[in-house]
Amino acid sequence: MKAEFINPFVTAGLKVLESVISARPESGQLAVRSAAFTTQQVSIVIGVTGAVEGQAIYGMSLVTATKIAAAMSSMPAMAFDEMASSAIGELGNMISGHATTLLSEAGYECQITPPTLVRGTEVEIATSTPALVIPLYTDFGKMEINVALMETGEKTATSPPRDTEKQEASDA
Amino acid sequence: MPKILVVDDAMFMRAMLKKLLTEAGFDIAGEAETGRVAVDLYQELKPDLVMMDITMPEMDGLTALKEIVKLDPAAKVVMCTALGQERSVMEAMNAGAKDYILKPFNAEKVVEVLKNASG
Repeated sequence: MKAEFINPFVTAGLKVLESVISARPESGQLAVRSAAFTTQQVSIVIGVTGAVEGQAIYGMSLVTATKIAAAMSSMPAMAFDEMASSAIGELGNMISGHATTLLSEAGYECQITPPTLVRGTEVEIATSTPALVIPLYTDFGKMEINVALMETGEKTATSPPRDTEKQEASDA
Repeated sequence: MPKILVVDDAMFMRAMLKKLLTEAGFDIAGEAETGRVAVDLYQELKPDLVMMDITMPEMDGLTALKEIVKLDPAAKVVMCTALGQERSVMEAMNAGAKDYILKPFNAEKVVEVLKNASG
C-alpha cells in the first residue's frame, strides 16, 4: 500500500474531529501492520471502492467513543447506546467522505460504503494489502486510523481542490 | 411552516436534524432510513421538502431523488451528505435536487438552505 493513501485519512480525521469536538487533535507515529486489525474496543469499518479499494477502520476505546458521541450530540454525557453507536458510525462516514475527496483530487476517484460498527478487541479484517496505522490523540482519548487500500485502476488526472469551504463548519 | 421528510440511514443524524429543524420551526412530516422507504413515504405524506442523505443501504439517495422527481417533477429535495461526496452532489443537482448541505453541518446553514429551498 502506498503511504500517500493514508495522508487524506489523517487530514480528514484531524479536520472532522476538530469540527465535532471543538479541539484540535494531534497525530502520532505511523506504523505498518500485515493486515487491518484493531485492538480497540469500538471500531468503525468503512469500505472504499473505485480507483483504490480496501478498508478504513477507525478504532477507539469505549470511553473515547462515548465521549465523542456525547460531544457530537451536544450532551454532557451519555451511555454507549444505539444513538451513540450511530453517532460514531457517522463520524467514520464524515472522515471517510472527506478523505475520498482528497484521494479524488489526487487522481484516485473513489467512493465509500455505509459504516459498520464493530465492538470487541483483536478484530482482524482480511485485506489483500498491509495496513498503515496512525493514532490521533484528542482530549477524549486516542482514535486509531487503519487504512488498507490498493490501486485497482488507472490514476486519473489530478483535479484542483473543490470549493467545499462554504459549508464546512464547526458545529455538527 | 414547511413539512419535511428527513432521510438518513444514521439514527443519530435523523435525531439531530429533527431536533434542529423542529427548533427552527419546521414540521417533521416523517423520517426514513433508506431511499426505498423515502420514495414510499414521499407518495404517502406529500412533504413540502425532503432532506436526503446520499450514502444509504438498500437504495441510495441519488436513486431515491430520481424516483421522487419522476413521481413529482416539482419535488423539493435537498441533499445532505458527508463532506467529500461532492461528485455525487453534483449528479444530484443535475437530477433535480434544489440544494445541498455537507456534514459536519452548521445548524444556521441548514436552516438557511432549507428555507431558501422551500421558498
